[in-house]
Amino acid sequence: MTSLALPLRLLALAMLGCLLGGVVSLVAVGFVDLVLWLNDILLVSPRSRVLAGDSPWLPWLTVLVPAAGGLVVGLICLGISDRRPHGPGDVIQAAQSPEVDVPPRSGALSAVAACLSLGAGAPVGQYGPLAHLGATLGAMAGRFMGGGPSLTRIGIGCGVAAAIATAFNAPIAGLVFAHEVILRHYSLRAFAPITVAATMGYMVANRVFVREPLFRIQDVAVANPLELVAFMLIGVFGALLAMTLMRSVLYAGQLSTRLSLPGPLKTALAGAAVGLVALQLPEVLGIGKETLRFAIIENAFGAGELALVIVARLLLTALCLGFGFAGGIFSPSLLIGVLFGALSGLGAAAVFGAAHSPLAIYGICGLVAVAGPVIGAPLTTILIVFELTRNYDVALAAMVSAAFANLVGYRVFGRSLFDVQLARRGIDLRLGRDKVMVQQRRIGDYLEQDFTRVDSATPLGRVRERLVDDANSEAYVVDADGRYLGTLSLLGLDLLERREVSPSAAAGDHAARESVVLSPDHSVWEAMTQMRDFVGESIPVVADDVLVGVVFESSIVSAYMGTLRSLREEEHASA
Amino acid sequence: MLCWLLAALPACGADELTIATWGGAYEASQRAAYFSPFQDDTGTMIDTATYRGGIDDIRDQVERGAVEWDLVDLVMADHDAACEAGLLETIDHDRLAPGTDGVPPTEDFLPGTLVRCGVAHSVYATVLGFNVRAYPGRKPSRAADLFDLQRFPGRRALQKSPAVVLEWALRSYGVPRADIYQLLSTERGLTLAFRRLERIRDVITWWEDPEEPARLLASGEVALASGYNGRFFDAAVNRGLPIQTIWESQVYEYSVWGIPQGSPHVEHAREFIRFATAPRQLAALSSRISYGPSRLSANALLWQHAGSGQDIRPHLPTYAPNFARGIPRDHEWYAQTRPRLEARFEAWLAE
Repeated sequence: MTSLALPLRLLALAMLGCLLGGVVSLVAVGFVDLVLWLNDILLVSPRSRVLAGDSPWLPWLTVLVPAAGGLVVGLICLGISDRRPHGPGDVIQAAQSPEVDVPPRSGALSAVAACLSLGAGAPVGQYGPLAHLGATLGAMAGRFMGGGPSLTRIGIGCGVAAAIATAFNAPIAGLVFAHEVILRHYSLRAFAPITVAATMGYMVANRVFVREPLFRIQDVAVANPLELVAFMLIGVFGALLAMTLMRSVLYAGQLSTRLSLPGPLKTALAGAAVGLVALQLPEVLGIGKETLRFAIIENAFGAGELALVIVARLLLTALCLGFGFAGGIFSPSLLIGVLFGALSGLGAAAVFGAAHSPLAIYGICGLVAVAGPVIGAPLTTILIVFELTRNYDVALAAMVSAAFANLVGYRVFGRSLFDVQLARRGIDLRLGRDKVMVQQRRIGDYLEQDFTRVDSATPLGRVRERLVDDANSEAYVVDADGRYLGTLSLLGLDLLERREVSPSAAAGDHAARESVVLSPDHSVWEAMTQMRDFVGESIPVVADDVLVGVVFESSIVSAYMGTLRSLREEEHASA
Repeated sequence: MLCWLLAALPACGADELTIATWGGAYEASQRAAYFSPFQDDTGTMIDTATYRGGIDDIRDQVERGAVEWDLVDLVMADHDAACEAGLLETIDHDRLAPGTDGVPPTEDFLPGTLVRCGVAHSVYATVLGFNVRAYPGRKPSRAADLFDLQRFPGRRALQKSPAVVLEWALRSYGVPRADIYQLLSTERGLTLAFRRLERIRDVITWWEDPEEPARLLASGEVALASGYNGRFFDAAVNRGLPIQTIWESQVYEYSVWGIPQGSPHVEHAREFIRFATAPRQLAALSSRISYGPSRLSANALLWQHAGSGQDIRPHLPTYAPNFARGIPRDHEWYAQTRPRLEARFEAWLAE
């Protein structure tokens, strides 16, 4: 390595972060503006609904727009791999395994689908799609720079960090989100470019386009130390609400698979349901920014109204996400959390009387209590709150809620909705990054053909000769169609001889099936867990009963060791 | 220029343009900044007619086929209504004068000023003003202070209209400027706004004549008042009254030149618009009366107030720090909601 190579590579990484940060931020701003514009022309925003006035078409359009939006979104999703919109879960998977990518096509189609979903008024989130879009651009840039999977992962981290920094005006939260939720590890090599990307995102959002932050809370303080107990309880019950939301999303997904309708029609159905509820309760439409603003204003909502909006939004968000609308779960959980916090604030006012903190603090505590467990990122949510409010008192209250919400949510449900969704697709992130990576590797890639295969009619004596010739200790017996019948080891042949079985007997009659048989689709991780009960030399691998090869214990162990080594290198590399 | 040389020839068209505008000090400033220089430059005489807003007069003239006004100084809401009704000529914005440094008009004019049937020329605002003697210590500085009787006691003078005060009411809850009209579009938002108004109901003196607020402030009858920025400026700078303007959450709107459909002097009227919206003319008006010019390069030309010699810039709605904290009045929203708002306002007054 020449002395110039290192500084040059460092510079290239910083440039990657800088460029990506700028581009992703611009794209994110464009995405958000496009959604707002669609909300205006599609009569989703309150102002456009007032301007439509007393038009007799308004109620019809209120139902028709989300339904038609659902139909179009459903059709677009048919063009995406897995026939579903991609989101942060897919990004997490890609960041954990070198074999999985964030393909540009899925990224673009998912973004279009999300834009239309949000534009047509589905109560889903915008941050998940933004993060996925950032990751798609980041992966493209990483691939373009040709640095292999580890650079692609840094690109993904940069893209996600810039998107979140832009969306929330919160660069530190963007940086932490990329590490806490997506990459799940710290590496010095990734840290600098991701930080640069997040900063760029913030600069573009704040200095180039002047954006009003989501919250502006000034001069508020926690009025009563006893209220910390209230913030703790908000954490506990907020986590339970978060679990209800996540379970509902998963349940709606199962309901959808049981419903024998074409996908786009299901989505249209969910859209129509949103429209119908919106006729009575317009608060369920869209991202709900107005509802969010009202929630932290004292006395804007009564307790009953708050409860109604929480329940309606929770159910409709679950329905929409389960039935194929493209969108995230972060903004819905954020809104539900703030409403829940406001509701708790009303309760606290009854307990503490005049000496209670402003509603806004309760709203924020509810936000972290519900949103934190849903995306599995207590640190990020605390930082978002702190960067938006720049108020220590608020951040402190939020930390209390976040801690207890995290405790409950993690124990009872799992780390996040993404983790549970991935686990249902066979990727268990709880095992740690090394296990996830060996989970992603398929046994099919480690097949060996250097083994002794004998036909079932082969006499036992011949089997022994074959084994000696091949210098193997195990022979795999197959029938005329190549189906695996069992294994004969040299030791087994000796035992048969001692029991005076004739050497001319057919191998097929005496072969015993191994206790461990794998298929090429098994992951290396599954092979490792099954190997514990295995004593032989190699494990037969069958596909549809047909013997396709064997794997040696040594291959599996070296695959695992290789994974550990590459992880170690990634986490400790400096440039 | 050519016409001035050939003024004697009837083929050169009008030697007279009739402009409908608002009279008073405002019209006098327009004469000094726009009309007289245009006459000197082109030889076209300018006559003014009194205009009191609305589009009924314009509709009447257009429908009778006897258009007397060649140009009208419209508020943006009236422009929209008249343009929508087909009562105005459309305007080609490429024909406008470039900025002082050659910037094309589309980049030089403020956002939202170049409209289909007109060109906005000046920016005026509804602001809060207060009597500086009423608050010798802590002075009000935000729209929200209007509703804070604890920190800023005293009577308030407000225009007898739901407009503007509802925006200020939502601002007092911390609603960002960009979201004001979205939130006012909901029942919940209106209820909250009226709840704020209720808080100060007992200390409100209602005004209808725009001259009133400055007078009420100066006499000490009220401590805080809403009013037009030009009137407060006139009272404070020209008449030396102890009135100070609060620019935070100023609600600003545009004045627009429009040409009634079928004006006999359309080409001359277009020529006038090009002349009167050039940066130098706009700046000349703003140095006489504190209405902000609608284009950036005109704001850059501004410096002294012609009468007092004071720096005029901090007194203009378009002065960058004032403008950044302003709320552009959503006239499209008002056009749709006005009847309902007024009915609700009347009902609240009667409670």
